[in-house]
Amino acid sequence: MNVSDVISITRPTPATIDSDVDMSDDESTQVKLSIVTPGEMVTDDPVWMKGHGTYFLEDKTYSSVAGNISRVNRLLSVIPLKGRYQPETGDHIIGRITEVGNKRWKVDIGCKQDAILMLGSVNLPGGVLRRKSESDELQMRNFLKEGDLLNAEVQTIFNNGIASLHTRSLKYGKLRNGIFLRVPSNLIVKSKNHSYDLPGNVSVILGINGYIWLSKTTNSSHNKNMTVNSNANKINASGDPSYVPGAGSVAITRLEEESSWEIYSDKNDPNITNSVRSNITRYNNVIKALAYGDLGITEQRIIMGYEASMAFSNVGSMIDKDAMESICQDVINNEKMRG
Amino acid sequence: MILSPAERSYLYDSLIQKPTIRPDSRAEHQMRPLEAKTSFLPGSNGSARIRLMDGSECIVSVKAKVVVAAKEANLIECDVDVVGFRDNSNFVSNLKFNLTNLLQQNFPSDYLRLTSKYSFKLFIDCIVISHSSYPLTLISLTSYLALKTTKLPLLVSETNDEEIAELPTFSDDWDNAKPIADYFKGKGKEFQPPIFITLGYVGSNLIFDPSVEEEQVLENGLIVTFYNNKVITPIANMNLAVNSNNSNFKGLNQTAIIKSIQMGNKFGGAIIRALDALIEQDDDNDAIF
Repeated sequence: MNVSDVISITRPTPATIDSDVDMSDDESTQVKLSIVTPGEMVTDDPVWMKGHGTYFLEDKTYSSVAGNISRVNRLLSVIPLKGRYQPETGDHIIGRITEVGNKRWKVDIGCKQDAILMLGSVNLPGGVLRRKSESDELQMRNFLKEGDLLNAEVQTIFNNGIASLHTRSLKYGKLRNGIFLRVPSNLIVKSKNHSYDLPGNVSVILGINGYIWLSKTTNSSHNKNMTVNSNANKINASGDPSYVPGAGSVAITRLEEESSWEIYSDKNDPNITNSVRSNITRYNNVIKALAYGDLGITEQRIIMGYEASMAFSNVGSMIDKDAMESICQDVINNEKMRG
Repeated sequence: MILSPAERSYLYDSLIQKPTIRPDSRAEHQMRPLEAKTSFLPGSNGSARIRLMDGSECIVSVKAKVVVAAKEANLIECDVDVVGFRDNSNFVSNLKFNLTNLLQQNFPSDYLRLTSKYSFKLFIDCIVISHSSYPLTLISLTSYLALKTTKLPLLVSETNDEEIAELPTFSDDWDNAKPIADYFKGKGKEFQPPIFITLGYVGSNLIFDPSVEEEQVLENGLIVTFYNNKVITPIANMNLAVNSNNSNFKGLNQTAIIKSIQMGNKFGGAIIRALDALIEQDDDNDAIF
């Protein structure tokens, strides 16, 4: 039996410090360019206004975070390279309910404050469109309770920085049939779409806040496109006189058909095969490897990493440092070749 | 750490498959990868640090003191400190009891004897800086490394002080210090401190070193002791999910205990060999980060 099958122990890699960094401070009267570290002087010119990520001591402005300097007119701020997620309106995020409160849920989305999900911003089971009543308030725990995972969109940011979420679309809601993992939020690249179907019958939702959900691909995600297409066909075939807009078509949101109590159910699909389960764990390891290599996580890279991971017959060995580095290297090489 | 009901049932269903499917696709006998460093604390006789990929970290320091053997009940004293827990909390005192009990029973402390009157006493201080899963394995592996690399100063005075009472004196040169292992070799015995292996029981599967998510759905947890190439007592079972109530927690089938002993016998040696290999590789460069 091989020792590395049971455990792998490595030594810490010594930090390499580049001694050639020019430490001279001759240009200190101007604002320095590029990257600063916490406590580093940004400028000693008091005309600059102090923005986020800076502090002011004895007429000098220092950086309080590690990041890039940004200047807007006279406002000087430092944008951190890493840090907590900062919500923006329209972000597709994943969160976990932490508290059920008065007409609202508190949701942990990995930012400074818990986000709020108002009772008015969720779909009712059955898709009935009406004002939420007192009886809805009483059964809030039947919809979502502490610990539940959901995906949602940031609706607004309040003045105090708290994000308000909504789940008023069928692509949002409770998450089932998979596993959750988190990576630093700065690794998620913002794009138009954040849920993808991957090879191997696995779907992924890359929340912009760095929370990731890997699950079995369900049929409904395919039907969605089908429905839209069939509607489009009907509209295109408008030569048919019997077609009245909106009447024969399935409502675009399909709210009535799909949002029965099922959308708040905690039951997983009973037919998740072992191959899907092992694919999910493989993707889990690939995403962790990408995060370890500080690579931005995109659909393409996940798929490339997945293909690179096929070289490992024993997926369990993918959690070693060397294996993760080699996967990252493979992904980078692959990208270079594709240009 | 709370899992949603859907996550919990998915994880449980995956773990009870045969063969088990763990979220990071580890085999049932596979531990999480470690990063270890030894002998880096200048003020102690032996030290070690282990870090895990998830940020768990434990530092152990071993210090030796010359004592009058007759006045000491035990020649080994352990202290465990877990960041975020009070020293007298149940969690910390359990860890401390487990470790102290293990070492006091299975550490041949006779070899620490200097003269007929005097002896070394070892103080083992463990600090868990951060942890996600139950940290007993982490602490015991780190203290294994620390004890293995502990050096004791060379005795220059006579070992026989029955006639003339004199205090033991030691060589001034730290380079002459001998590892504890050498004290044992002279007496024809390999020095190998005992370690704990944590196992989780779910379905009818036993999994090594459960991660914090796995702990949430385990039906039972087992702590197995490995010493001198075999599993020894104490073997204990407990709920590893200490910070939340685990609704899956059940009684333990006795076949699970037999199986855990078999697995411990089969794979424990590999853990020891990996730890020993690390000590051999570890050079004296001071990079600890």
